[in-house]
Amino acid sequence: MRSNAVGWLLLAPTIVILAIFGIMPFVYVLYVAFHQWNPFGANPLMIYNNGDNFRRLVFDQEFLTSIAFTLKFAFFAVASEIVLGYLLAQLFMKEFPGKGFFRTIHTLPLIVAPIVVGSVWRLMTTPSIGIIPYLLKSWFGIDMNIGRDANVAFALTVIMDIWHWTPLVTLTLLAALVSLPKEPFEQAQIDGANRWQIFWHITLPMIRPAILATVFIRLMDALRTVDEVWMLTGGGPGAATRYVGLHIWKLVFPKTDYGYGSAVSVIVLYLTLVMCWLLYVGLVARRDQKRTA
Amino acid sequence: MAEVTVRKVEKRYGNVPVIHGVDVDIADGEFVVLVGPSGCGKSTLLRMIAGLEAISGGTVSIGGRVVNEIPPKDRDIAMVFQSYALYPHKTVAENMGFSLKIKGRPKAEIEAKVKRAADILDLGKLLGRYPRQLSGGQRQRVAMGRAIVRDPQVFLFDEPLSNLDAKLRVAMRVEIKELHQRLGTTIVYVTHDQIEAMTMADKIVVMKDGRVEQVGKPLDLYDNPGNVFVAGFIGSPAMNFIKGKIDTRDGQQIFVSNSGSVLPLAGARAQPGQPVIYGIRPEHIDIGPGGLPARVSVLEPTGSETQVFAKLGEDSIDAIVKDRLTVRPGEDLMLRIDPRHAHIFDAKTSARV
Repeated sequence: MRSNAVGWLLLAPTIVILAIFGIMPFVYVLYVAFHQWNPFGANPLMIYNNGDNFRRLVFDQEFLTSIAFTLKFAFFAVASEIVLGYLLAQLFMKEFPGKGFFRTIHTLPLIVAPIVVGSVWRLMTTPSIGIIPYLLKSWFGIDMNIGRDANVAFALTVIMDIWHWTPLVTLTLLAALVSLPKEPFEQAQIDGANRWQIFWHITLPMIRPAILATVFIRLMDALRTVDEVWMLTGGGPGAATRYVGLHIWKLVFPKTDYGYGSAVSVIVLYLTLVMCWLLYVGLVARRDQKRTA
Repeated sequence: MAEVTVRKVEKRYGNVPVIHGVDVDIADGEFVVLVGPSGCGKSTLLRMIAGLEAISGGTVSIGGRVVNEIPPKDRDIAMVFQSYALYPHKTVAENMGFSLKIKGRPKAEIEAKVKRAADILDLGKLLGRYPRQLSGGQRQRVAMGRAIVRDPQVFLFDEPLSNLDAKLRVAMRVEIKELHQRLGTTIVYVTHDQIEAMTMADKIVVMKDGRVEQVGKPLDLYDNPGNVFVAGFIGSPAMNFIKGKIDTRDGQQIFVSNSGSVLPLAGARAQPGQPVIYGIRPEHIDIGPGGLPARVSVLEPTGSETQVFAKLGEDSIDAIVKDRLTVRPGEDLMLRIDPRHAHIFDAKTSARV
């Protein structure tokens, strides 16, 4: 029993911190989500409104659009990061001159704060002063205006996310590749598999847990992207890059619609959980079931 | 089935040569064991036959076709690795059928071949399991089953029994030998264990430092080792070696060790005065009157026999005898050496005289 008490004592700081910074805010957001609360509105009091916030968001076109854009953004960003990250990881498995240097350089984006990434990309893409529109114009005669063209703005947010987060994917997949035993690959060569068959039948299944973990991490991150996109496009033009995190921020801060903003947050959390759960069930659990059957 | 011919094969890593022009002929259906201590190049040679290592010089032919530039998948070989190299995410049946599946063979054919191999190796009940659910011996059998399904021209085994415990190793040894007798496929088998080599091989290739020391039938190597290395490597416990020279006494050649012990020889073997190494296997020494007095240092009784470690003057010698001995360490025993089994090697070249 004594050891149990010591155990709890040692865990106590973590539990306290988790409770103060994790559980309590979450419960509070849940509480606020069931109220109408706009301290700077006509009625500044917190009024219980019976889940009206949730009823409202189902019909909120702005919210639904932002969810759709977010999913599109997350899909393109995460898919490209996984493919690109895998290719880079395979590159780093080979020996070439300057490999150590290149590997170090390529992880630098990871240590840059998102807000800085956003501002740098903004500087590079602002029409008339940014280097990217300038070069596109002088080399290819293309007019790129992030403030006018919704597709360009969307593409740039995706590219920025890829630039920022592909190194993370590379590192996790590289770690997975390095830890693989080499014999199954030699065996596959002898079994007559070509490179594509080895990739599809051997490499991919063997690094699958690492890929799934990376997809989960990146997906959750992409679904709650705020700062980078806020700096780069401010959610525009129009609502083209107003991803759901940004949408919530706009509801809560400029509009001070705390109740509704909280409800959207809760729903987004729920959606993220459901998506990850579906991915998990679809890709991991069903396989395990097959295995034990 | 096919013969395998290795001609003047060399392997260099950068400027470092590790295999120096090796020649090996393996006949169709033969069971050949490459044996030698760690680092002798036996696994490298096998991997060059498999196509997993590039060949730096010379040629490797399988079935009369030079395969130097042919990738492993087109060499029509099957290989069993020490670590088994099973695909962890595939069931036993999928592991065994993989080579056929990627060739696009019909399902029915794959199933039939997998079932046939599974029957041979008694794997029928395990077909739905994953490698991690199997014991070491079972994994080993799956790896062999995967090779059988291929129905290749040559089986390559790279120390397949080294990860098994002693008892299982003996059982699998018998199983592999039976498999060879049943299928008749050419087998090249690498091991560092000379007992495996002796018990399984039709022909043994003894290697050391990237060179072939001797090639021959197991008992030929045992009876007529070509040099000190082979003599010491083949046979367990290892042969006794005593340095000294040849002398003549009463018209008969004898061996006089550097510490002065006199050991018998049968017939004239070398020039008197020539510095030589005298080799005698422990099993060719027995105990009885008329022998040479030796001081016992350690006794190792195993039940069926007793190994005696003793000192003959300054020279260490050990003997294996069937008797159960009552002698204690420090006491003297009379060791009788059978001179017909004595081997004489040149002290300089270490070649057989």
